[in-house]
Amino acid sequence: MNTVSEELLKELKANGADYFASVPCKLLGEMINLLAEDNTISYTPVAREEEGLGLCAGAYLGGKTPVIVMQNTGLGTIITSLFSLGLFYNLPITMIISHRGTPGEKIGTQVPMSNAVKPLLDTVGIPYFAFSDAADVAKVGRLVQHAQVAQRPVAALLDFDFWGKG
Amino acid sequence: MSYRRYELLKELAPTMVDNALIISNIGFPSQEMYEIKDSPKNFYMLGSMGLSSSIGLGLSQSTDQTVISIDGDGSVLMNLGTLSTIGNYAPKNFILLLVDNGAYGSTGDQPTHTSGKTDLAAMARAAGIESVHVTQDGGAKAVLEQCMGSDGPHVIVAKVAPGSPKLKPIPMDPGYIRDRFKQEVSG
Repeated sequence: MNTVSEELLKELKANGADYFASVPCKLLGEMINLLAEDNTISYTPVAREEEGLGLCAGAYLGGKTPVIVMQNTGLGTIITSLFSLGLFYNLPITMIISHRGTPGEKIGTQVPMSNAVKPLLDTVGIPYFAFSDAADVAKVGRLVQHAQVAQRPVAALLDFDFWGKG
Repeated sequence: MSYRRYELLKELAPTMVDNALIISNIGFPSQEMYEIKDSPKNFYMLGSMGLSSSIGLGLSQSTDQTVISIDGDGSVLMNLGTLSTIGNYAPKNFILLLVDNGAYGSTGDQPTHTSGKTDLAAMARAAGIESVHVTQDGGAKAVLEQCMGSDGPHVIVAKVAPGSPKLKPIPMDPGYIRDRFKQEVSG
């Protein structure tokens, strides 16, 4: 039986995703290992989320279907460029975001930013969809298509329960 | 008259635009490239300061064409981590043209740290980029041509004087800039 990470990558690719940039998170560890081993996609680990958004923008201009894989805390580094790059140029970039600070979290300092993630995405104007059940993995994959329709970055928030770590 | 970024880009633009895809940095660099030689092969950044190198890197990974990111010292200092990503993941068709005038030009020529002790060429080398060149004024032309004819990734730190001519904002919608560039890339 496939793991959640294997299923998620399979669904993202089935919906056209072929370019990935990532910044690590404990919840994304297996996913990132799978990305690094996958020769059918382009994958680049980056130093910071804003840089990853830039890479995804360039990849889209080059004809790819990009995905950024990141932790919700990274949203703080990326907001200006979500406005002036992602939204201003209407770039369809799928954001796969691990939602730390949700039930299952063991580190208290993750909670304040966790609570702010949805209001921040609302304020910026990024459509987001939150998932707590790995059975919904196909719906997460479909966000790659939805970003093309919406012509803007679209985010999935994946909490501890989604990853089976609740 | 001093040799500024404008004089540099005027000298390099014909070579770049005819033979490469170009990501032009926010502010004066984009305005200057628009004024000197507008082309669908120019992607003009209207925001996201610091990301010219990153956008160019993502593009170069997605096309076989030569990609040149026109970046600045102030912008690269905002996104230094990307030098390490370039050092490890940039393909051979990527060129970072880092125009170093030691100043935040678009905001009134406040000095950057490269006008002090900071050496971006040394930082690029330390980040793992092997082909790093430092040029002064018009010396960049021969080096750029050499880089465009050989496997990279390449970084050219082109030293010029601060200052910019007065130009108007680019009269283009971001969606238009995106679409005509994307169409040019995919042929």
